[in-house]
Amino acid sequence: MKEVMKIGGKLAAICAIAAIALGIVNAITEPIIIAARAEKVRLALIELSVGLEIGELNEVNNEGAILGYYPLSSLENIKAYIVNIIGSGYAGDMNLLTAISLEGEVLSVVLMKHTETPGLGKEAENASYMEKFIGKGNGSIIPSSKSHLDPKEADSIAGASITFIGIGKALNEAADFVGQLGGM
Amino acid sequence: MLKEFTKGFIKENPVFIIVLGLCPALGVSTKVVNSIGMGAGVIFVLLGSNIFVSLLKNFIPEKVRIPAYIVIIASFVTIVEMVMEAFIPALYDSLGVFVPLIVVNCVILGRAEAFANKNTVKASILDALGMGLGFTLALIIIALVREVFGLGTITLFPIGNFNGVIEIPGLIDSPVRVFALAAGALLVMGFLKALFTWIEDIRRVKQ
Repeated sequence: MKEVMKIGGKLAAICAIAAIALGIVNAITEPIIIAARAEKVRLALIELSVGLEIGELNEVNNEGAILGYYPLSSLENIKAYIVNIIGSGYAGDMNLLTAISLEGEVLSVVLMKHTETPGLGKEAENASYMEKFIGKGNGSIIPSSKSHLDPKEADSIAGASITFIGIGKALNEAADFVGQLGGM
Repeated sequence: MLKEFTKGFIKENPVFIIVLGLCPALGVSTKVVNSIGMGAGVIFVLLGSNIFVSLLKNFIPEKVRIPAYIVIIASFVTIVEMVMEAFIPALYDSLGVFVPLIVVNCVILGRAEAFANKNTVKASILDALGMGLGFTLALIIIALVREVFGLGTITLFPIGNFNGVIEIPGLIDSPVRVFALAAGALLVMGFLKALFTWIEDIRRVKQ
């Protein structure tokens, strides 16, 4: 019994010291990380807004892909929305920001936080990856399956179909959502 | 003493000869810059864990040594992750899921168990540096082959006007994509392992 206590005590001591060290590092780095994340979102919003005025964030609490939306307006008239969406990726959820016009056309898409595989799904971080979605909607199909793409485009998602389908589905949901919102 | 440092490069290269840490080695080796980043992370964690395991080798009870090592290693990895995200976010973004995976990188646990808990702190530091650099070297070699053939580029850190990407004429337009994918990783790894084993054999015959 005494032996067990001794062993357990030593392990607990190591854990306690490790926890204190981690706490100190976290206290130093956390504010920097939070500021950097907020800055990243701010820059992405500016890029997506194409010069329109960005309104307040409205959060959405339903079970679907939509987390929230920012209206984009010019002279008090809402022209489009930036929708904050979650797509289901290969290695967990992917957070995307997308600007969608009132007609349901995808104006631009940016992949924010995600855990996709480098070299495969992670390629979706590149602006060129999103070109296959931009301008779609409003009459045409927002691609969410390989059969919606022409063969040359389909090559660019080889090895990362799940990432592509996840983004496509989330964008479709966002476009439907904007359709329901309308100009208000 | 110097032998502890140099053995990691070829003679006991962790990736090609001891075959440790293959999962992260193949996972991040799509781009040269990722290999350098992963290597730096592994060197730091290995150095920290080897020093502490060696210092505490008489304190840590034999029965719970593995949990104790895991606590030490996991703490260093978490520190690396937080510091990287705060100060080098670009590298953190590009390494993604592989940083937390350093915890279960068997190079680190392997060196703690096979070396640091039996040797002095000084020898453990040399071992950590040698093994870490050997691991980094292996990753860079795999990544060079994979990136040049698979993507037609060599990606380094951006400095000044140089955006960090060297494009290889000819290959950039029609890369051999299989090298960038998982199958290519295993193929390249296999051939490089054969090469290293051959070099090691020649050296052994000479002695």
